[in-house]
Formats: sequence, structure tokens, C-alpha cells
Amino acid sequence: MKRLFQSVRWWLLLWYALILLCLITGLCLLSFRLTSNDRTVQIDREIRGFQGTFFRSLFASRPLPNKDEPPSLDEIRERLLNPGDVSKFPPELHALFSGANGGSYLACWDSDGSPLFISANSPDDLKPPCGPKDGSTKYVEQDHRREQHRVQPSGMSSIVGRDISEEQREQRNFGVLLALGGGALWLAGLGGGWWLAGRALKPIDTIGRTASRIAAGNLDERIQIANTDNELDRLGHVLNDTFERLSAAIERQKRFTADASHELRTPVTIILSETQRALKREREPEQYREILANCRTAAERMRALVESLLVLARQDLPASKFDPVACDLADIATGVADLLQPLANEHSITVQREISPAPLKGDPHSLAMVVQNLLSNALIHPPSGSTVILKTSVNEDGTVLEVSDNGPGISAEHLPRLFDRFYRADSARGQINGHTGLGLAIAKTIVENHGGRIEVTSDKGTTFRVVLP
Amino acid sequence: MRLLVIEDDPLLLHSLSEGLREEQYAVDTAIDGEEGLAKARETDYDCIVLDGMLPGIDGWELLARLRREKKTPVLMLTARDAVPDRIRGLDAGADDYLTKPFDFEELLARLRALIRRSSGLGTSSLEIDGVEIDTALRQVRSAGEIVSLTPREYGLVEYLALHRGSVVSRTELYEHLFDESDDTLSNLLDVHVSNVRKKLGAGFISTRRGHGYSIE
Repeated sequence: MKRLFQSVRWWLLLWYALILLCLITGLCLLSFRLTSNDRTVQIDREIRGFQGTFFRSLFASRPLPNKDEPPSLDEIRERLLNPGDVSKFPPELHALFSGANGGSYLACWDSDGSPLFISANSPDDLKPPCGPKDGSTKYVEQDHRREQHRVQPSGMSSIVGRDISEEQREQRNFGVLLALGGGALWLAGLGGGWWLAGRALKPIDTIGRTASRIAAGNLDERIQIANTDNELDRLGHVLNDTFERLSAAIERQKRFTADASHELRTPVTIILSETQRALKREREPEQYREILANCRTAAERMRALVESLLVLARQDLPASKFDPVACDLADIATGVADLLQPLANEHSITVQREISPAPLKGDPHSLAMVVQNLLSNALIHPPSGSTVILKTSVNEDGTVLEVSDNGPGISAEHLPRLFDRFYRADSARGQINGHTGLGLAIAKTIVENHGGRIEVTSDKGTTFRVVLP
Repeated sequence: MRLLVIEDDPLLLHSLSEGLREEQYAVDTAIDGEEGLAKARETDYDCIVLDGMLPGIDGWELLARLRREKKTPVLMLTARDAVPDRIRGLDAGADDYLTKPFDFEELLARLRALIRRSSGLGTSSLEIDGVEIDTALRQVRSAGEIVSLTPREYGLVEYLALHRGSVVSRTELYEHLFDESDDTLSNLLDVHVSNVRKKLGAGFISTRRGHGYSIE
């Protein structure tokens, strides 16, 4: 039951049923009321017509001497007391005298309450009406009768009425018919509502099912969109875009993990292979030393890679937003250049410093890592005897760091992917010289976390340019 | 048995080739795809250990090119363990697949199996005229007694036994027992043959004058 009320379809149907019920009930009541009013108006008209016919007939059988003048009260009294020859009255009035059941009846009383004329078919309990003596007409409905009560200013009073049980029965039947019809309409409406709600919710259901399949790992699947540009289609587009981005992110993550594991496998293999070889038989100390040195080299590679992965992971975390501090890129670059001078000497490369003050706000530690990655790349790749220019400046773009070498350059095919994780332009693998294939990716992530950009141009020699806001 | 190891990581290449040499294999090495392909074409190796990711021509491409000319057994060695990579490797003509990091003993066992299978031998041991050769233990028994052979003598017996019934030329024998760094004189082969005859009986290896040697 709880589950039932959690269903949108049921809730929609419930509201729909409620509104439909109000609407149908209102319509039925209105129609009942209108018919009832219409019937009453007609009965009243009949009663008035009957009364007119009676009085006209009263005077028609024996005309008054002065036809043009209205009859006096006495003349009326006299005629009522003595209606004359009944047979001369129109047939519809005969019941008044014969006393047959049904039909209209009539009674008149004098001002003192004495009856002047009581028709033979009048109900037994008929009493003179009371009320203001202003000649006004009052219609009264009681039991199965509807009557017109009137008290003349002269004090004479009259009641004209008729039995309306037949009309009342018809009205009741009509009421029952209305209730049955309304109920049937309501039920049919409910069925239609259930079908409509189901139809309206079906796309949502489809979206839900597709989404669960995607969530279950079917990342290539997408929600089918009918292209009608309704709300559900727009929702479908939004969800498809989200799935697209998620899928791409997962794919990137997968590739990255595969690459990382791939990079870690080689040193692990070396360590395993070397230790197994060492343990296989007794050896000379020199051989043990060589095997241990190989293991150390492999372990150092792993350390470099693990450290790079950690840096990258930290930079990737949304929580890695640092508190920017005021620092000078010039100082950072000088510090790194000093640190890497021995490496430059080893490769016989001259580092030419063109450093001018470049103040900015950022994280000096990660910025130093950017400079170090770019500069060490420039010291390792070009041939000995090259010159590397390390330059900091400020221009209209922002704070700029440039590292250029006059080496052979990087071919154009590699440039677009140079900052990809684990991408190596020189395809010769091996993390020789501590190269993990992550240096430029780390530099890019750090620069982007600072809101800046990094670009590379390569023709004769290569220039890496970092622009920070 | 002579192997070719193609691996671009110098340290791993060194470790693998040293380990295999210690197992008495004659081992040639190549550090990239081009060099590897050239050597594989030039010499009939008993098995090639091939890394997947190589600079220049990668392992899969190398294999595809090599298969147009040769049926040398190839054991692919790679850090990529995704099923599509393995399928690609096997479809390109690899005979076996081993992912890094691997157990060195397993590599040896797989190499033995590949070499054995390429000579049409089902199990790791074979018997010829009461001489039992166990290729897994690298042991030879004559009448139930272990015969002590030097690694090179064992190699000679194993190679001839695997090519039982056919005449193996001196050049072929030399090629499979010594690697490219060996500059031993070729008459050393006669010394080994004579030593084996002393240990396993004069008729064990027969000489086809002008053609080579064979085990009937």
C-alpha cells in the first residue's frame, strides 16, 4: 500500500479522480436544479392558467349585464357560491364539481373565513391561507401538492393547486439517472486517466530503465529521444549529455589507470626477475651488487612514478584549491634554476636567465614544480652544448614564464598530445632519467588550477610558455 | 637452444637475457622493433620473447611482418593485459602470452613448452634407445642412471633429439647452441659430439659425412 502511494501514477490518478468527481457532481447538481426549476415554473404557469380558465368560465356561462367593467366583489361572491350549470364549463373544469381524483383543485374563502367555493376534488385538510392582504401571490409546495395562495385586499382568499406526485416521481427518476450517468462517466474518466497517466509517465519509465542500465556499466547506451522538444526530450538530452561526460571521464580514468599500471609493471618485473635470478644460485659478491643496483634503479623509477601520481591526484582533487599567497615567479624560477644547475652542467647545457620581476598570487610550491618540470625537460632532451633560455616577465596577458631550448624540436604530430598523461614524444619508453611521462601533465594541471594556460611551440627548438593571470 | 629477446627497457632486457643465459640458452637481444625484426628474419631462433610496446615498430606489427616469412615460436611479453590486446597478439601470430610482472620460472616453463611443441613433442620427456631426456629438468638418464652432461652437451643432445630422424647441419647446430656474442671455434662442436658419444654410447649420435649429425 505504501508503495502504491509512492507511485506518481497513483497520485496523478487520485488528483484526477478528485477533480473529475467535483466537476461531474457540480454538473449533475446544476442540471438537476435547472430541470427542477423549469418544472416548477411550468406547474405555476399551469396553475395560473387553470385559475384564469375557471374565473372566465364562471362569468362566461352567465354574462354580467355590463361586460366591460370588472365584476364587483359581490358579483364574484355570488358566482362562487352559485356557479350555475356545470355542464357549460369546459371539460377540464368538470373535476372541480364531480370530485374525480387528480387534476387541479380550487378553493375560495370570504373575508370572514367562510368558504365561498371549495372544489369537490380539493384535499380534505385545505385551510384558508393567511398572509398579508395585498393581493400578492405565494406558491407553496407541500407533500405532493403545489398551490398558489393569494389573499385579496378585500379579505377574500383563494388557493389553487394541483397534485404533482407524477412530476416529483419523474424528477426523482431523472435524479437517479443523473447519478448513474455521472458515476459511469466518472469511472470511464478514471480509466482514461489511468491510461493517460501511464502514457505520460512511460517516457520517464524508459529514461529510468535506460539510466539504470547505463549505471550498471553499459556506458555506451543512450536514452532514445523522440525529437519532439517537449520537457521529457529536454530531460533526455540533459541526461544524455551527463552520461556522455561521465562516460568520457570514466574512459579517461580507465586509460589513466591502465597507463599507470603499465608504467609500474615494468619496474616490478625487473625487481621480480632480478631477485629470482639472484636467489637461484650462490653468486659472487660482484654479481649480487649488480643485481641489487638493478633492483634499486627499478625501485627508484617506481618511486618517481608514485610521487608523480600522488602530485597529480592531489592536483586533480577539487579540494586541492590552495590559498593563494603573494609570490614572485622570478624568485621561484631563480631558485629552481639554481637547484638544476648541476643537471645542466652534467649535460653541458648553458642556462641563460632573463628574469624580471613577475609578482602574482598562487601556490609557490606547485609553481616551482611547473618550472622544474619544464626546465628539466629542456635540460635532458636537447643535445649537449645547447642553450636554454629561462625567462619571466609581465605583459598585458598576465605573468609569463618561458622556457626555450635550441634543440631539434618536437615534430608537429606530437604537439597536440604532449600534455596528455603518460604521453611521450620520443616513444622510447623506460623511465630513464626519472622520466615518468607525467611531468608536462602535472605542469598543465597546476597551471590550469591557477587559472592560467600552458602552450608549446616547436620549430627549431622548443618553447614552453606559461601565462598566469 | 637459441632465443631472441626483444625488449625496449634496457634494465629488463639485461635482466631477462642474463637470466636466460644462466639457464643455458644462447640469447640474442634487440632493444627496438627494427633491430628485433632484422635479427628475427636473419636467424632461425628456437623461440622469440617479444615485448608489446616497442619504439619504432611495436610488437604486434613486428609479429605480423615476421609471420609473412617465418614460423618461429613467439612468446609475447607485455604490460598490457587487456583481453583485446591478448586477442590481437594471438591473432597476429603469437604462440603464447605472458603479462608483466611474471614469474621467471613460468617464463622458462612456457619457453620450454613452445620449443617442445614446435618440434612436435607432446610431453617434456622423450626416450631414445634407452636414453631418457627430460627437457623440464634438463636431465639425461641412461639405463635409469643420471648422465652428467655439461650445459652445452645437454643442448646438443636436446636439439638433436627434438629433430630426431632428420640430419642437422653443423651450421644449424652451431646457430642454435651459440649466441651472437659467442666467437667459439666451430670445431668445438666436434669436441662436444665426441664427449656425448663417450657418455651415451658411440651409436647415439650418427655422423652423416658432409651433411651433419642426427639421432635415429
